[in-house]
Amino acid sequence: MVYQIKSFTVLPLTIPSTPAFPKSTTHTLYLQPHTPKIPVEEDSRSLFLLNVPIDSTPAHLRGIFTSLLGAAGRVEDIHFGGERRKAAPTAPAPKLPVGKKRKRGHEDVDLELDVSLPETSDRALHRSGGTAIIVFVDKKSAEAALKAIRKLHKSGKTSFPVWGGGLSNKIPALGGARYETYHALRYPDAMTLQMNVDNYMTAFNENEERKKREDKKKRNVPDEDGFVTVTKGGRSGTAKREDVEEKRIEMEEREEKKRRELERAGFYRFQVREQRKLEQSELVKQFEEDKRRVEKLREIRGKRGVRP
Amino acid sequence: MSPISPKRRKLDHDSTDEISNISGSDEEMNVDREAFEDDAPTTKTKQNPTKSHQSREVDESAVYAGGLFKSNTFKIQVDYLLEEIRPNYDGKLGKANETLSKLKGLIEAIEPRDALPVAEATKLLQKSHKISVPFPSPKPDKSAAYKLAYAKPSRINVIGSYPMRTMIKPAKSDHVLSIDMVVVMPASILQEKDYMNYRYFYKRAYYLANIAAGLQESLKDTYTLMFKYLNGNDLHPILTVKPKPADSKTPSKYEINIIPAAPAGFFPDAKLLPSKNSVRPKEGAENATLPPTPFYNASLSSDRNFEAYLKLLHLASKQSKSFADAIMLGQIWLRRRNVSGCISQGGFGSFEWAAIMALLMKGGGPKGHSVLSEGYSSYQMFKAMLQFISANDMSSKPFIYEASDVSLPKSDTPVFFDGPRSQNLLYKMTPWSYGLLREEAKVSLDMLNDDTFDQFESTFVTSASESLQRYDCVVRMPLPTEIPPSSECDHLTQITSLSRRVFSVLREGLMDRVKLINIKTPSLPNWAFKASGPNSEAQIVLYFVFDPAIIDRLVDHGPSAEEKRKALKFQKFWGEKAELRRFKDGSILESLVWKSASTYGVFQEIVTYIINRHFTKEISEGLTFVGQSFDKAIRAADSTTKQFEALKEAFRTFEKDVRELEGLPLQLRQLSPTSPQLRYTSIDAPSFSAHSPLKDPANVLIQFEGSGRWPDDLISIQRTKIAFLLNIGNLLEDCDGVVMTRVGLENEDKQFENCAFLDVVCKSGAAFRLRIQNDREQTLLERLVKDKFTDSRTRDEAVSALAAYKTTFVQLPLLTQSISTHCTRFPLLSPTIRLLKMWFDNHMLLGHISGELIELLGAHTFLHAYPWRAPSSVMTGFLRTLMFIERWDWRHQALVVDFTGTMTSKDVTSANTRLEAWRKIDPGMNRTVIFAASNHDTSGVGFTEMGPSKVVAARMTALAGSAYKLVKEKGIELDHRLLFASSTAGYDFVIHISPFFAKGSKRKDTSKSKFKNLKVQSEADLEQIGYQPIPLFLAELKKIYTNSIVFFYSEEVGTCIGGLWNPQPVAGRTLKIGIEYATKVISSEEGEQNVQLDKGAILAEISRLGGDMVSKIEVQR
Repeated sequence: MVYQIKSFTVLPLTIPSTPAFPKSTTHTLYLQPHTPKIPVEEDSRSLFLLNVPIDSTPAHLRGIFTSLLGAAGRVEDIHFGGERRKAAPTAPAPKLPVGKKRKRGHEDVDLELDVSLPETSDRALHRSGGTAIIVFVDKKSAEAALKAIRKLHKSGKTSFPVWGGGLSNKIPALGGARYETYHALRYPDAMTLQMNVDNYMTAFNENEERKKREDKKKRNVPDEDGFVTVTKGGRSGTAKREDVEEKRIEMEEREEKKRRELERAGFYRFQVREQRKLEQSELVKQFEEDKRRVEKLREIRGKRGVRP
Repeated sequence: MSPISPKRRKLDHDSTDEISNISGSDEEMNVDREAFEDDAPTTKTKQNPTKSHQSREVDESAVYAGGLFKSNTFKIQVDYLLEEIRPNYDGKLGKANETLSKLKGLIEAIEPRDALPVAEATKLLQKSHKISVPFPSPKPDKSAAYKLAYAKPSRINVIGSYPMRTMIKPAKSDHVLSIDMVVVMPASILQEKDYMNYRYFYKRAYYLANIAAGLQESLKDTYTLMFKYLNGNDLHPILTVKPKPADSKTPSKYEINIIPAAPAGFFPDAKLLPSKNSVRPKEGAENATLPPTPFYNASLSSDRNFEAYLKLLHLASKQSKSFADAIMLGQIWLRRRNVSGCISQGGFGSFEWAAIMALLMKGGGPKGHSVLSEGYSSYQMFKAMLQFISANDMSSKPFIYEASDVSLPKSDTPVFFDGPRSQNLLYKMTPWSYGLLREEAKVSLDMLNDDTFDQFESTFVTSASESLQRYDCVVRMPLPTEIPPSSECDHLTQITSLSRRVFSVLREGLMDRVKLINIKTPSLPNWAFKASGPNSEAQIVLYFVFDPAIIDRLVDHGPSAEEKRKALKFQKFWGEKAELRRFKDGSILESLVWKSASTYGVFQEIVTYIINRHFTKEISEGLTFVGQSFDKAIRAADSTTKQFEALKEAFRTFEKDVRELEGLPLQLRQLSPTSPQLRYTSIDAPSFSAHSPLKDPANVLIQFEGSGRWPDDLISIQRTKIAFLLNIGNLLEDCDGVVMTRVGLENEDKQFENCAFLDVVCKSGAAFRLRIQNDREQTLLERLVKDKFTDSRTRDEAVSALAAYKTTFVQLPLLTQSISTHCTRFPLLSPTIRLLKMWFDNHMLLGHISGELIELLGAHTFLHAYPWRAPSSVMTGFLRTLMFIERWDWRHQALVVDFTGTMTSKDVTSANTRLEAWRKIDPGMNRTVIFAASNHDTSGVGFTEMGPSKVVAARMTALAGSAYKLVKEKGIELDHRLLFASSTAGYDFVIHISPFFAKGSKRKDTSKSKFKNLKVQSEADLEQIGYQPIPLFLAELKKIYTNSIVFFYSEEVGTCIGGLWNPQPVAGRTLKIGIEYATKVISSEEGEQNVQLDKGAILAEISRLGGDMVSKIEVQR
């Protein structure tokens, strides 16, 4: 068995057989020290995992490292790839054109906006071939984990860690039960839901208010160089973007209409003549176009084109 | 034109010349432009022949300048068609001339035979050459006084489409082209009286037998000689000579028909008019008025007119260059409709087409004007012919060409009487074949007048005659063992006279229930010299097209009791079935009451009853009806329609409830249904009652009046929607008609998409799922997509959210409205779509091909039914759609459905142009594969963005292809179940669902029935609404294994999920982050470490995820 591929250490997991799929299989996990593009403090004691099973839970992974390292392998935290982090910013949320120069403090306020709805699933699943990051308590544990795997390989293929060993009762079950739970959870209690929405809306409104105040302030107070920032909206507040957009489209349409009317009128004789010429050349073009199209169809279909 | 100086323009009076000049040229231009716009040729107006001659000769590209063709595309396609269908006269047919002259020499060299009495002459031929003379029945009297003789023919001529060069390639590879050669019998062996009592036909048969005898010896080795009836007319036996193929690989391309003919002008015209009798009955010959024998007379007439028509056609083709092409177009058109000169196939073939066209070019119009102009293009001629056929009912009002003093007997055979040649050209036609021909002409004419779509395919390519696609019901009728001899004098075979009687009985009995009745009599094959005549099958086949609105009428009203004669006739026809009834309006009518409840039931009951009454019990019991099975397959009965109606009614009540709600946060604008259950197209009709609520809530959109209070942010809009739904739910809870409401979440991982819905269960048991529609979402999403500062991940999310928004909130309500309108307009659209969905589902494609796309396909069959009328049975609707799918080249052709009839050809073209543009951007078809546009959605991707993929689309075509092949092969023997049978053998692995979860099991139902007496909707039941574990499981699988596995599942069958590995990941590749499937390490040959799709691990994952729902995972490959 290979234990190294590129920079990854290979860890085969023994998958217990199930009644539906009675073959016992192995699942290949690839590990390497975590080296992200933007490094953070945790990196040195983190491992990057590739190809985690779809049903991985922190408990599963903890179990694996416990079986590898014993009590020494203490895992502090686990992040799964593709998982939306709790309390992440509302991604690109409302990017108001003026707000580009927002101060740091305001973004922090944004971050507080909790967008999550009540969970509908009692256990997250992962994309096939997904990733995870394991953060150990210290650097030593991370290194020890890789070393332990190497050792396991060297000892001859004896027993690789078993997937989900001894966990069966501690984590939410899959199968029919999972969907039954999902069906129950997707209909949250009206109260809870209302609270969730209220909380969100309060936070959102506060945010909006703050931004508005900020804009207003900018309008009134000159900055350190003595300039007053010009922002949208007057006394009545910022105009809605919709309205602006609508007005713009309306104007464009009106102008377009005007222009077309003038054109259609055939005001000058040469216009009429040119129009006619245009029409004729259009017809010729159309004919050529049709011919090309039929030719192409004929090429594709061959004799089938004329046979039923 | 020189530019006009400003000075001159001011001086009006000065520039009159100039102006008149210009206006003159203007006029010319205008004329030209009119010609551009005038797409459909006006058939009756004469065109200046020289002008169009020129335009055709000048240059091909000049056609756009004349309205000579329907459209450019049409013209180009017609040209290709003609080129393709014209046989190569110099190639394999080149030898035909040689053979013809050889035959001519041989026939001229045959020794004359002296006149002998019938019995002696027959015996002699039998003895010397083993040829039995092909006498028509009744066979000649042995003791007849006249004698049979043979002498050298007076002339031998090649006639028909071969010298005219208007042949078209045979339809099937085993058919051959026929070249007709007439051998004119010398007057010396005939007598003028021979026209009477078959004497001419006996002499003709003897003459033919002599030619056969003379040729037999010298041609035996290289040619096959057989007898045959010309056009299935048993008065006209002929000899076919077919070269024996040199080897089996190159079968001969042609055969030569040797046709004995009567000398022109030998028999008097006056004796052979349709009104004259030429066959005297044996007894009572002194009878004063003898019934006319039109068929016999016309058969004789046609025998002496061969050369006259050759001359006529030749002249016509000299006169007009497009004449020959128009004949070929006509031939193709007739062939696609399975109509030919053969009596069993209608009796209207290329000869009749050509002859009528030639005559109409000379006259036939009002005041002796010609109907067709010599200057017409081939297409104009073709179309004018269709118009002529469809506009004139020649059976009720005979068409007489240049003959004034002809009296015609009343009959239901159509008449086109050619005066100069004294011949009814349509004598071989039957009432039913004439009805069919006219109907086809009418449909085709309507089709050609449709400017929006290119109708080339449906006119000249689609085979319109496949019985199960053309007719709603096919009935096989065994021939009785003994047919009573016909009492008429005219020459009719027993089968012909029987079918005529069957036809008139059926037409009277079925009344307006059927629109078309066609009868197919067995065709008569060739036979060898030794045999006495051809053998044919002992059954006739009846074909019916229903009027869907009244086919299942249960009570027929006859004449009122006061009209004694009519009532008597009615009673006589119907026998004991006729009963006198008083109706609500006070009228007392003869009437019939039928018991069956289904479409086919009533039809079958009537046909069986009248056949039994007017023929024998033996026949009526032997009838086999084909067509009903498809109705049964989808359970298309009134009851299902009622179920759909019930849900619609429940929806209306619900809508009323919502409208009456007080305290809604905003003014309600509308509720729009979007569920297939609310547009009659779900496979299973919705079933619900107060005690068992609807399992799958019907989707409904709710829209409020616009308001400025909606937040300017997508996520906040979604949250606000939840608040609204909670609010509506609270208000509805207090409503009388509502039992329960609850808000559910969806699209949890998609931040921009609709995230919540409100389920409402009504007291009636109906359940609805409400979603709020807010127009602003679209604007915000579009802005997000356009915004340059959006990061790619957010943009992707916004793009897919936008597509989802357009489908759910824009397209679906429109589609629902259109489909449900058309389901009311066409009662059969709903069952057809449902059957189609079932077909797709049984083949496990429904998960990939959206139900809406299938609905568009079904609607296409009904709204663009050409070359047929809209289907009037489930069978025709279903099979025609399959046929369309089979032929549909979705790679290069968009599906366009025009619900309102408002689209123009430009719209259609632009849909196809858009498709071309997409194909250029994405030639591998990795994104959108199928384009299905409608008048609501010209983008064409509303329902196809999420699938099918190229693989699935190809599979759909392949499945439709094999189904269509089966239909073609089996014909009326088809068992519909074969079309729906699907096998799982093709999948790489199969996930078997444990029986507890499979759809078939009714685990909840059994427990419920115990407590039925409680009659309370238990809480658990309500909780279960909308709960479908297997689809949830499948959805998760699809999400997890997007790039590695394609899953197939049938909701109706529900016992297993099929899976196919994506072939790409199976091959090894180097390991890197971002591989989106589970892998394992393999060592490649070069010793490098690669990774490969880990099938075992994935299947183990699936089994873990499935848990107790999966009973077994079976690896097949």
